[in-house]
Amino acid sequence: MAINKNSNLYTIVYTVVMVVIVGTLLAVISTSLKDLQDANVLNEQKVSIMKAAGNENGDFDTMVAMGYVDAADNTFYAIDTNDTVSVDAVFKLLSDRKALAATEAELPIFIYNDKAETTYIIPLVGKGLWGDIWGYAALQTVDGEIVVKGIVMDHAGETPGLGAEIATDGVQNRFVGKLVYAGSEFALRMQKGGAKDEKYQVDAITGGTKTCDGVNDMLRNSIDKYKEFLENPIIVEPQKVKEE
Amino acid sequence: MKLSKNFTNPLAANNPIIVQILGICSALAVTVKLEPAVVMGLSVIFVTAFSNLIMSLLRNGVPSRIRIIVQLVVIATLVIVVDQVLKAFMYDVSKQLSVYVGLIITNCIVMGRVEAFALGNKPMDSFIDGIANGIGYALILIIVAFFRELFGSGTLFGIQVLGDWYTPNSLMLFPPMALIIVGCIIWVHRSFNKDLQEK
Repeated sequence: MAINKNSNLYTIVYTVVMVVIVGTLLAVISTSLKDLQDANVLNEQKVSIMKAAGNENGDFDTMVAMGYVDAADNTFYAIDTNDTVSVDAVFKLLSDRKALAATEAELPIFIYNDKAETTYIIPLVGKGLWGDIWGYAALQTVDGEIVVKGIVMDHAGETPGLGAEIATDGVQNRFVGKLVYAGSEFALRMQKGGAKDEKYQVDAITGGTKTCDGVNDMLRNSIDKYKEFLENPIIVEPQKVKEE
Repeated sequence: MKLSKNFTNPLAANNPIIVQILGICSALAVTVKLEPAVVMGLSVIFVTAFSNLIMSLLRNGVPSRIRIIVQLVVIATLVIVVDQVLKAFMYDVSKQLSVYVGLIITNCIVMGRVEAFALGNKPMDSFIDGIANGIGYALILIIVAFFRELFGSGTLFGIQVLGDWYTPNSLMLFPPMALIIVGCIIWVHRSFNKDLQEK
């Protein structure tokens, strides 16, 4: 008996079988590649942090301490890097840009120690012209002033050649050595028409004004939360786990 | 004989981009640099080849009323596979290609070849036709990306080619320049192929 391929029953059975096969196939692929994909995202975050600190090829795991600044007492509480649950929680927060922007109480921060210098690396998050922009700012305290050691920025969909230039070394290097605060005023910014005060300002991107405005807001909103900590850093090491 | 004609035809004489003017949108979007253009080309070759093969294998069993839906499911599945693999093994490139990998689903070349060729031809012929059309697309993408990266950034595959004397022309980085370059390619192509010239 020939099958009627235009009957409703045939069409429905055909669709169901197709969906089950395709669904299973995609589920298997997605699950089996998930670990690799997550590792890529994590690695990108670590490389960005090391790049902001000026040591792109350095080993994140040995050179960087991570933890939270408690906004209540402006003290850094380190996380035991062997505690994978806490470490994962920090990186998960960094990936969740909405939650990161809303964080007020426990502010994630990385501390990079190199020779005598201590660099504080702060996650940045904001809005550009078309979508999210984010990055890391590496800051140092020199003679009571907060100085930029390096900045790394990335974007979701800024205009190539214009706003998207914020992700290039050329733009990011402009920030190196600039002071963040003039007195108590937040002064670090990308200035349209060219930097007027070389101590605090960098040239904005011609044709990328809206993105640069977004960068200015991002810098101020993200760094301001850490202001009191940066001016007077108090650091509490994690309690060492007793080794048997 | 037929197989080889199936293969060579889409490369030039019936190229999907410069003759059929299909798939222009992604040709504009991913040709700022060579590397993403090459990866995009490979991805499209994979998708056109296997969507043609699978649809050709299924062609006698697909209920004609839901033909287009079945095609979309097959194409979308292949595109998701490509996207997932890129995210796992070529993360940087996958970031540069961003949404355009997903948009291969809407690339007229893929659907066009399935509908026009695979549903009426044997699996092997369809597979060759898919590969050839993918290569035809990739070739144009690579030519456009070559000029855009060379004159827009002074580099090829990210390596500095033009010296410090060259000021990169950022106009090349804008999508309209891709359209103009595609136009130039069509112009050159048609001046060699008299039968394509409209009266």
